[in-house]
Amino acid sequence: MTDSEQPETETAVSQPQWPENGGQWSDEEGGAGMDECGLAEMAEEDEEIDIYNNETFGMDMDTEVGDTEGDPTNPLFKFGEKPPAPPALPSLSPSSPSFSPRARPQLRVQGPPGRRGRGQRGGQAMAQMFEDPAVVRTVEGRPSLQSLDSAIVDVGSVSYWDDLDPDAWMLSSYERTRHASGSVLQDPAIVCVMDSHAPGRGPNYLDSHYPFSNSSGRRGGLRGSYSNRPFGQRCPSQINTMLPSSPIVSRRPFTTQQPYNQVGGLPSPRPCPSTPQPLTPKMMQLRFGANSPRPSPFYSPSSNRVQRFRFPGPVTQLHPQHRRLLSQRQQRSQRKPDSWDPYCNLMSAKEKEWIIRLQMIQLQSENPHLDDYYYQEYYRRMEAKLAEEELGMRGKREPPKLTTPYVTKMDSYTPVVHIEGSLGQVAVSTCFSPRRAINAVAAHCPHEELKDIRQQRLDVLKKIEKLFMVLLEVEEGQRMKAQVLGEGEEKGLMEKTEIKVEYIYSQLQHPDLEAEEEFLPCLLVSKGKQLLARLLPFLSHDAALKVLSMVTSHLPVLMSRDADESLPVLYPSLRIVIGGMTFSQLIGVLKDFTTSLPDSSDGSVCLSLVCQSKFGLSLLYALLSQGERLLSSDVPLEPSIGDFETWTDTVFLVASQLSQSALVEPLLLPSNLLTLFCRYLDKRTIHQLKSNMESATGYLALPS
Amino acid sequence: MNYMPGTASLIDDIDKKHLVLLRDGRTLIGFLRSIDQFANLVFHQTVERIHVGKKFGDIPRGIFIVRGENVVLLGEIDVDKLCDNVLQQVSIEEILEEQRLQQQAKQKTEKAKVTALKDRGLSIPKADNLDEY
Repeated sequence: MTDSEQPETETAVSQPQWPENGGQWSDEEGGAGMDECGLAEMAEEDEEIDIYNNETFGMDMDTEVGDTEGDPTNPLFKFGEKPPAPPALPSLSPSSPSFSPRARPQLRVQGPPGRRGRGQRGGQAMAQMFEDPAVVRTVEGRPSLQSLDSAIVDVGSVSYWDDLDPDAWMLSSYERTRHASGSVLQDPAIVCVMDSHAPGRGPNYLDSHYPFSNSSGRRGGLRGSYSNRPFGQRCPSQINTMLPSSPIVSRRPFTTQQPYNQVGGLPSPRPCPSTPQPLTPKMMQLRFGANSPRPSPFYSPSSNRVQRFRFPGPVTQLHPQHRRLLSQRQQRSQRKPDSWDPYCNLMSAKEKEWIIRLQMIQLQSENPHLDDYYYQEYYRRMEAKLAEEELGMRGKREPPKLTTPYVTKMDSYTPVVHIEGSLGQVAVSTCFSPRRAINAVAAHCPHEELKDIRQQRLDVLKKIEKLFMVLLEVEEGQRMKAQVLGEGEEKGLMEKTEIKVEYIYSQLQHPDLEAEEEFLPCLLVSKGKQLLARLLPFLSHDAALKVLSMVTSHLPVLMSRDADESLPVLYPSLRIVIGGMTFSQLIGVLKDFTTSLPDSSDGSVCLSLVCQSKFGLSLLYALLSQGERLLSSDVPLEPSIGDFETWTDTVFLVASQLSQSALVEPLLLPSNLLTLFCRYLDKRTIHQLKSNMESATGYLALPS
Repeated sequence: MNYMPGTASLIDDIDKKHLVLLRDGRTLIGFLRSIDQFANLVFHQTVERIHVGKKFGDIPRGIFIVRGENVVLLGEIDVDKLCDNVLQQVSIEEILEEQRLQQQAKQKTEKAKVTALKDRGLSIPKADNLDEY
């Protein structure tokens, strides 16, 4: 045992240690020669090795290494034989995914190069490097640039789709991701997505030593289980010291240490009190290097490792054109001259893929025509054009269209996490909400009077915002009604809309104020006016009338505090309401215009104000016009007692006021107004009125 | 060529020289090395370029990691294209001095404006007075 290893050790020491021996790094293209079948073979071999290694490097390294010698398939044995002085292979960019330790990092370090064919020297050197008993495991990480500066030559062989066994990698990362605790960097959305796809996978990995014999989950499982033992054994904090570039003198490589280092959230079912729960920056860095969590919803655990990307069921694959583009791109980048950026390709192909997939997840939607209107429309038109052009021609080429993989979206996720013992909330960034705003929890002030003006204003604004959201839903429901819906759906939709409308209506009313002044706080805010204007069409006639009467009764206040002139936004909706009023209702509303203060002898204050306000005047005109319409129509009016008198009085009052004061231009001048006045007033007054109104509007109110 | 047609992605910008404008007004120029889904950026051999008038100065900064939300815009720099002849590069000390003077002048004018408005009884509305959210 020892003697077989010592010559190896000595020779190993003489060689430049990893990562300095970049020249010896195997290359995927030249040295690999691995095809699909080779990988399948390797898979089985891997399995044996796994089991073997597991047994061997279990709890006690020292004692068990002795057993290895007799084993004919002992990779160690062979390793000891093989001189670690390989011919210089084309150096490998550390980012190449086809570097096999990447796919089977922990377990390949001892495989004899001849047998495995690639990456062994690197792995071997790595094993030598990490002989420190502090090292729990080593995994192929990112070498430091300093050491690899001269050695890195971008072979550019980042092949996305071949030469790689992604499943194991995905699963291992998945497993790690799944069990890493307290990692803020872990994307819950992705994890949840993964979880939704494979609910039952997790615990199996850790429970047994040999969880699966043929399943590809085995690797992750073994790794996981394997990690538990040394993890429990060793001081976990030493993981933090593990950086790929840390030089470690090689001693007895396979006796004193497990040459694996599972970085990044080592899953351990047994609680290790010394485990640093949060990921240290170093670990996090490594997590995003070679060990970044890969979204694995596209992979099923039992997928054939030969066929790389097999999506289950309804998942769509990347568009074939997409794939072609990618391979073209690789070829192009491969052909680029090497004499350039020594720092290039820091981002490996895997990482780029990961981001692309993430972006594709974000692009998914149930309603693409709504969410991604321009894209859909553009391609629809392009295809229509192509179809027209190539009508009858064969091989109509479809423009490259984005087909996103279908992943069941999480209905709910917690973007704001409350960590035990923390003082506040933590916003977790997910791909759906990269920056989640944590709402400042406002100290609720129970007494209205104690709140200062600003606070009250903010409250009102907040309330209006929330109501607006509901209103948007109502309007959306209205729009959807136009589409053909099933009867049951339509009814359900109507009910929901009704509920929402009532909710908004009730919320607009301030609970504390008197019956008359309920709507005022919201109405004094211009956005509240907009809200009300958009809500009015949905309200029942009674409710709408109530709103109208409230508006008219508080007209002076509204007009005076309408700094940004947003009142006219209410006009169209109110006009429609007025159009449906009965005579009695009309009279009731008109009274508000003509009520005068007890001590004023000059007619109503309101009216004089109204003449100066666009909205007020237009409202008045609309009311009068409605009255005239009702009177001149044949519809039976059903007036209450005293209605007609009030009506006449009002007309007179209004006429006199209008003729006296300068008028502003109304929003709309009803055509039957003058007709109305003509009936009641004398010629002189009419004339005056007419000229007044005309001067305001600038055109003839009525051909005289 | 875009990996995902119909979308915008920074994948194609990797390892190229870029100019990024940050929300705080800084201009950084560097090689974009890495990104993530939030458009956090890793810049290499970064240089902060300060522009004052027609002069500019470069401060070498090394490696920058920019949080994605702080980016205003980002654009690739064409290294082959000739540099602008209009702008004149000066030393760091000089450009910092120029910048300081510029800030001073700006503050003075701002102060004068506010005073003038105050005298007339007006005020520039602050965000919390505005009606709309």
